[in-house]
Amino acid sequence: MSSLGDSAPRLHRAMCEGKSGLHPLEGFDVERPRCSLGGNLVSFSAESYLKKKNLRPLDRTGQLVAVATQLALEDSGWTTEELGKQDVGLVLGTFFGSVHTISEFDRHAVLAGPSYASPMDFANTVINAAAGQAAIWHGLRGVNSTISAGSTSGLLALGYAVDLIRNGRGTAILAGGADEFCFESFLGFERAGFLCGSDGGTGEFPIPFDRRRNGFALAEAGGLLMLEDADSAVARGAYVRGEIKGYGSAYDCARGRHSERAVEAIERAMRLALVNAELTPGEIDCLSASANGSVLGDRREALAIAHVFDAQSDCVPVTAIKSMIGEALGASGALQALDLLETMRDGVLPGIPLLEQMEDGLRPVVVGPKPRQVDVRTALINSVGFDGNCCSLVLGRFLM
Amino acid sequence: MCGSSVAERRRIAVTGVGTVTPIGTGREQFWRSLLAGRCGAGPVESFDTSNFQVHRGAEVKDFRASDYVFELDPGCLGRASQFAIAAARLALEDASLDPIAFDTQQAGVICGTTSGEPQVIEQFDDQYVGGGLDRIGPEFIKQYPCHVIAANVASELGFAGEVNTIPAACAAGNYAIAHAFDLLRSGRANVMLAGGADSFSRITFTGFARLGAIAPDVCRPFDRRRKGMIPGEGAGMLVLEPLDRAMRRGARIYCEVAGYGLSCDAHHMTAAHPEGSGAARAMEAALRQSGVTPDDVDYISAHGTGTPTNDRLETIAVKRVFREAAYRTPISSIKSMLGHTMGAASAIEAVVCALAIFYDHIPPTINLQESDPDCDLDYVPNCAREHRVAVAMNNAYAFGGNNSSLILAAAPTRLQVTVH
Repeated sequence: MSSLGDSAPRLHRAMCEGKSGLHPLEGFDVERPRCSLGGNLVSFSAESYLKKKNLRPLDRTGQLVAVATQLALEDSGWTTEELGKQDVGLVLGTFFGSVHTISEFDRHAVLAGPSYASPMDFANTVINAAAGQAAIWHGLRGVNSTISAGSTSGLLALGYAVDLIRNGRGTAILAGGADEFCFESFLGFERAGFLCGSDGGTGEFPIPFDRRRNGFALAEAGGLLMLEDADSAVARGAYVRGEIKGYGSAYDCARGRHSERAVEAIERAMRLALVNAELTPGEIDCLSASANGSVLGDRREALAIAHVFDAQSDCVPVTAIKSMIGEALGASGALQALDLLETMRDGVLPGIPLLEQMEDGLRPVVVGPKPRQVDVRTALINSVGFDGNCCSLVLGRFLM
Repeated sequence: MCGSSVAERRRIAVTGVGTVTPIGTGREQFWRSLLAGRCGAGPVESFDTSNFQVHRGAEVKDFRASDYVFELDPGCLGRASQFAIAAARLALEDASLDPIAFDTQQAGVICGTTSGEPQVIEQFDDQYVGGGLDRIGPEFIKQYPCHVIAANVASELGFAGEVNTIPAACAAGNYAIAHAFDLLRSGRANVMLAGGADSFSRITFTGFARLGAIAPDVCRPFDRRRKGMIPGEGAGMLVLEPLDRAMRRGARIYCEVAGYGLSCDAHHMTAAHPEGSGAARAMEAALRQSGVTPDDVDYISAHGTGTPTNDRLETIAVKRVFREAAYRTPISSIKSMLGHTMGAASAIEAVVCALAIFYDHIPPTINLQESDPDCDLDYVPNCAREHRVAVAMNNAYAFGGNNSSLILAAAPTRLQVTVH
């Protein structure tokens, strides 16, 4: 569920046409904002998907997850009867849970007094609330967990779920991530100077890897993939879109304060993912970068890609979909995976709109402003946080 | 995908423990207080409770972050991170594990939490309602999101491998230990610090007070007169490493992590399933993986929050799984002494299980004077007890219907356990 559509094909088609899910923000009044763009869902109606009248127990993050769950279940062909017979799990990555719900609950209690705090809202102040809500909503009785590793949460959730399945903790687990766009989150990133903008003028778009880049645009989304043990999936006649072949994660103890160490951690995550997938860099056909327009982040990731792919880095096409979808925090990794599965199907890798000039010394040949035809058998996805977390995951075609 | 064939499944040992709790910091002080039945409840001092109907909590007293935080600046850390770092340092020391002696890229931190860093958001909210949004600076986004807790521990100690936070609310400690266990078994790590941390939170206090779930005096798990929980704070961390590596370096081995079970009620956000079925499924899964039967379990560390509903439903769930053996298995709730330390609770309780196995001694459920016909098991009332513990089970249940059960077992010299 994203600002570019509620299905992977829609999201992918929009991005291949260079459409942006980012738009001028209204109603998020921040004093002296640098950034005026965001990828919030303006006309999101959870009711139209969930078809239930009383959605009051769900906050926005809960709605995003419940809707993404619904869409994933439908897309993967799981019926209500099948859900009754088998325990399907849910592993959700999230940056904040819902900082808006938490903050509002607290502010209301401070202003009106603790006797007027809302018990229903309290239930949503725990960071695992959305995963719990989606489980109730859809009857998911399998393993249910929430994981937070900054903006790598969604990609890491996919890896966590794969390991759970391989460990026999379930044969079907929904995995991905979600984060809502809210004032508290927007203000936080604004004040840290991370958001793109033109210092007083109207906002510029985030342009990953471009020399003119000056930050990212915040977005919201919920993205979930149905992961299943391959034999079970085939046995039930599922349409298999791809396979997760491996993942790796690493941490930069210096939390981004030292360039070399930051690059090393990103590089290490990529190498761990490749080793885990039993692949060499030369076997990777394309890369979905985490780059979102951050001045430091994009440069470091580009350097790490160059180190890993060495001779191939002039040949591996690299895209950065956060140019269009924005930085959806916990949902990012899932959206990158969903889009790459479409690329594996239709052979088109989205471009990076507005990209004109790579920074000097950045070697990876990115796909350029226009989409490119690529035959993808295996692909690498990167997820890099601003404060140390790094995760990479390998997707591949499914072959029986 | 390589690296995780069944034949290579490693056995995982607990070689160090560290705790920051309302009744003591560090293994010795904490264990002594537990066996003495010390109660950590008192009037809440972190914030003004005059607008509340309840006023008691279990806060950590006299904690000095500078005693434990050396690499990072304590002033830039929220209280939960400070607790987590302290518990982690203590656990590493307890394990006699010097970071220069192992590959820190193969070392990770998994920390559970309920609230993350609530004081940071509470400060944000105070500024928000006070018209001072302009005072919110860059540190909010760097100090508040819950992933910083595990990250801060990793940065302080120099661990560069798998680092993440599992915010599974009141079961988070068990979830974090379970995840660390899996990472070690699959070879993604060689050393893991796993546990949980939470600081006292006005948001948490407000919410539980509003639910009528906070006791006016003390926490009395399983007592007929029980009226609720006492919110607390703290941290618990365990050092986990492959058993063969621990033995090779001559480490003290408290116990092994034999297995775990997780389940989801998918029933209600704050109320457990009325038949305890989710809790039962988690216990059954844990027993299955560990290769032990209910008869083999010598001690259960209960979730035992002291609310009328939890204690009754938990008793039902234990009886479902253990049947007649339920009446022969001591089960105690240390929340009677520590209060409910939220995301830290099941981590601290896992520490307690490790110590119970190591010392053959079980902590009591204190404040238990009047028995409840619905709660008729052996809750080890009021006095600690010497008891041979070869297998311990640690149960924890959270909002969102997240249920967990962790099984710890004595090291191989004392017990033959088949680990799948």
